[in-house]
Amino acid sequence: MPTSIRLVFLALLLILLDSCKYSHPPAPQPADRTTGYRAVYISNEDLRNVAVQAPQPLLNPGKIYVKDGYLFVNDQQRGIHIFDNRNPAKPVELGFLRIPGNSEIAIKDSTLYANNGPDLLAINIGSPANVRVVKRIENVFTTTSYPDAKQVWFDCPDPSKGYVVGWERTTLTDPQCYR
Amino acid sequence: MKTTIYLCLLASFCACQSTGDMATPTTGAGTGGSTARFTVADNFLYVLQKQSILAYDVATSQNPVAKGSTTTYGATPETIFPFGKYLLLGTPSGIQFYDRSLKPAAPTYVTTYTHWFSCDPVVAQGTVAYATLRSGTPCRTGQNVLETVDISNPLNPRLIRSYPMTNPRGLGIDGTTLFVGEGDSGLRVFDATDPANLRETAYFKNISTYDLIPARKVLVVTGTDGIYQYDYSDLSDIKRLSIIPIKR
Repeated sequence: MPTSIRLVFLALLLILLDSCKYSHPPAPQPADRTTGYRAVYISNEDLRNVAVQAPQPLLNPGKIYVKDGYLFVNDQQRGIHIFDNRNPAKPVELGFLRIPGNSEIAIKDSTLYANNGPDLLAINIGSPANVRVVKRIENVFTTTSYPDAKQVWFDCPDPSKGYVVGWERTTLTDPQCYR
Repeated sequence: MKTTIYLCLLASFCACQSTGDMATPTTGAGTGGSTARFTVADNFLYVLQKQSILAYDVATSQNPVAKGSTTTYGATPETIFPFGKYLLLGTPSGIQFYDRSLKPAAPTYVTTYTHWFSCDPVVAQGTVAYATLRSGTPCRTGQNVLETVDISNPLNPRLIRSYPMTNPRGLGIDGTTLFVGEGDSGLRVFDATDPANLRETAYFKNISTYDLIPARKVLVVTGTDGIYQYDYSDLSDIKRLSIIPIKR
């Protein structure tokens, strides 16, 4: 395609893109500022308390990963359930890897990589009885600090209170943040 | 102390399971779902950040070493899928192709297959990529579709066909069988022998399906109701094997 035509096309594209913001005008901020979202915090020490625990109930399943007859199931913001899945008709939970702020899983050899809030972890899972963090790389991820919901008021997160693991809908007093 | 107790608990639990025949971890990577933001390809772990692909050298798997960061184009990429020497990124502006063969620590941008609207995950096999697009955020057209894309020339990906869907999310392809998660609207199974003419062979309406992994004739599905597993060795009779329910 000649450059001139490409440029015309690009210009048209930009005009079209620009129209988006007019076709979806932002909703007016609700006058009621007493209802909205409040951050649920976990302390910075607790955030980094990664541990193997006994099997736990599955609360809010997230991403999944399979390797060597094992099934790994993320429980959103809580950690990873490890199942012996060699018989998929009867998966057996071996343990729960408590990783606050976790959503992602990948594995190479017998090392599991996971996000732990802002940090990236390498965890040796070679022996289910001796699962341990072998490396922590701090502050890899910029974490979002607002609720998923839009056109809502919320208490501005306060980093001194710790890491935000979720948001709860509640009654607010003079919230200063809005999205 | 707490940890020790848990480890003892776990150890004793495992003892009952006869640890002697635990599956031995093999070398290499496992398999994630299509919505993954972490992936291992050869000796690198790739991690999606808001506007970049971070590369970690994991030749020694227990010691990931940060090696590079590649800035991505346009909006925040949502998913990463390893495909041969390429990394395919599902982004709101389309499927982005990066070549990792030249500089694995800094994958080279190749091209973008552009949609007009938002893109969810992408997977690929052979010469075809499969991507789902879902409505729901501002500035999307409200279309819910599955697209098949010819990537025989990755420099010039071309749409093969677009299929209407309800609310598509994660997807997976195994051979000629394509599985598409429709969120709370169920799970669809297609015969993908001809990407220009996908044929729906099964639709399970009542399973919340946000992502899935088909591997060795067992399909693992994750959704808001829990983890479902299916045996698809006989495509005309896909059988549910188990459910790991959520605690309500």
